[in-house]
Amino acid sequence: MLAFFTDWWQYGFMRNAFWAVLIITPLFGILGTMIVNRKMAFFSDALGHSALTGIAIGVVLGVTDTNLSMIIFAIIFALLLNKISSKSTASTDTIISVFSSCSVAIGLAILSKGGNFSKYSSLLVGDILSITKKEIVYLIIIFAITLIFWTIAFNKLNAISINRTLAKSRHIPVSLLENLFAVLIAVIVMLSIKWVGILIINALLILPAASSRNLAVNMREYHFFAILFSVFSGVLGLIISYFTNVATGPMIIIIASLIYFLTFAYQKITHGN
Amino acid sequence: MKKIRNKYVFTMIMLICLLFCGIGLTNIYVNHERENEKKEYVVVTSFYPMYVAAMNVIGDSKDVTLKNLSEPQTGCLHDYQLTPQDMRLLSGADVFIVNGGGIESFLDDVAKQYDTLAIINTSEKIAMLEDNAHVWMNVSDYEIQVQTIAEKLGELMPTEAKQFTENANAYLTKLDVLEQEINELKLVTEGQNIVIFHEAYDYVADELGMQVSIVMDLDEERQVSAGEVAEVMQVIESDKVSVVLAEELYGKDMGDTVEKETDAKVIYLDTLVRGDGAMDSYLHGMEQNIAKLKEAFGYEENH
Repeated sequence: MLAFFTDWWQYGFMRNAFWAVLIITPLFGILGTMIVNRKMAFFSDALGHSALTGIAIGVVLGVTDTNLSMIIFAIIFALLLNKISSKSTASTDTIISVFSSCSVAIGLAILSKGGNFSKYSSLLVGDILSITKKEIVYLIIIFAITLIFWTIAFNKLNAISINRTLAKSRHIPVSLLENLFAVLIAVIVMLSIKWVGILIINALLILPAASSRNLAVNMREYHFFAILFSVFSGVLGLIISYFTNVATGPMIIIIASLIYFLTFAYQKITHGN
Repeated sequence: MKKIRNKYVFTMIMLICLLFCGIGLTNIYVNHERENEKKEYVVVTSFYPMYVAAMNVIGDSKDVTLKNLSEPQTGCLHDYQLTPQDMRLLSGADVFIVNGGGIESFLDDVAKQYDTLAIINTSEKIAMLEDNAHVWMNVSDYEIQVQTIAEKLGELMPTEAKQFTENANAYLTKLDVLEQEINELKLVTEGQNIVIFHEAYDYVADELGMQVSIVMDLDEERQVSAGEVAEVMQVIESDKVSVVLAEELYGKDMGDTVEKETDAKVIYLDTLVRGDGAMDSYLHGMEQNIAKLKEAFGYEENH
């Protein structure tokens, strides 16, 4: 049994992956709480899909590090989405869907040119070997930024999510904070999408927070459980995927989903409805 | 207060259960995988044609374990991603036999990560067609690959070198029979125009002395545009192409369309990248390919 925890440590790529999981999953847990509260699940999903276009643009421009083009595109995409959905009269989910489909189509059109899409298919399910030292440095930087942002802005963001108008009347810079939050999600999603996979990255943001909501009664608990579930499923999923030769992202999500169903059942039983 | 404590107890029990379930299931899986323990010398091949070639060279040598990187069903490697299991396999390997020419796109990473791993590039003595490394589809090139494997493996394992050479020669004798058949067929096919739906058949066309009018590379996840289809039809008409070579798995739809719209005949050849792991699967597959080609070009009727 000890081998379960030590066997994989001898490989450099597994150590890299382990550190990445350890840094990124708490972030997903923290941000997930606010995404679930503000009913932004679809927004973050669309953001994940925009990675395809970001990479496609990078490829067209001949950039060697597609990370950069992905992040820049995702930030523009997120800000645009925020702006239009606050102006337009059409309902938000329609607008997000339009943006998401459009960006996926552009991405696929460019990347499949010449029949070469198979080169990028690993993006869909994620490739753990794509984590290098450089990625980990990026992750540490974004980890620090998120923590700072969270200590300063959490209460205000929470107020906005409860009542936007009330928050405005209390002189909270609503759109600035909303935009900053969207940019933060964009950057974190883009930095982890290569190894988690476009198809499932949203689940990693939503599931821990959703499970936590089944148990928590206040903000402190909400955060605590979300981070606990996120880190737990991340580390266990990584190790199991190593031994069973399954892609890592899906394995993490399977565990996170199990936690969701169990907490959901617990809540139903204890509260009797 | 009691309810709150229950909640934490529940969470703890839940996580511990999940952890043990995970460990338990993984252990069952891993033990299942460990059936054949490794012998003294581990040879890993990158994909199926290399695996079959190496298998015939190594024969029943007791000191060597031969393993293939990708599953026998993976097909062409193209942009294959190494899995963690592949990395483990390579970390325990002594030799890695590859086709080369860029098919193994991960080769640089592997070489960097495992600097003690000996890599045998089987195509190093072969003049490749441009941007196309499917050399094993040409029987005479494949023979060179077999020789290269025998030679390099012999250098790495001097005690077995004699055995490897003997095995390779026995295999080459069988391949020579195929080579002979192809040379006979070449008398009919030489100079004809042909259309192919997979890059690999460039080598077949080359060996048979045919000119490729157009290549439409159909494989996994390939999306074909309407304009390309029209272009292929035009080329078939204008170059008087009578035979199209396609792969059954990915080229069937396109092949049906061609047969409906033009007079050309579509034959489905095996790219020899999948199989059941039998030693003669290359010989067998190539034999069938030749039989299909003979039929398509009316070889039997003329001779």
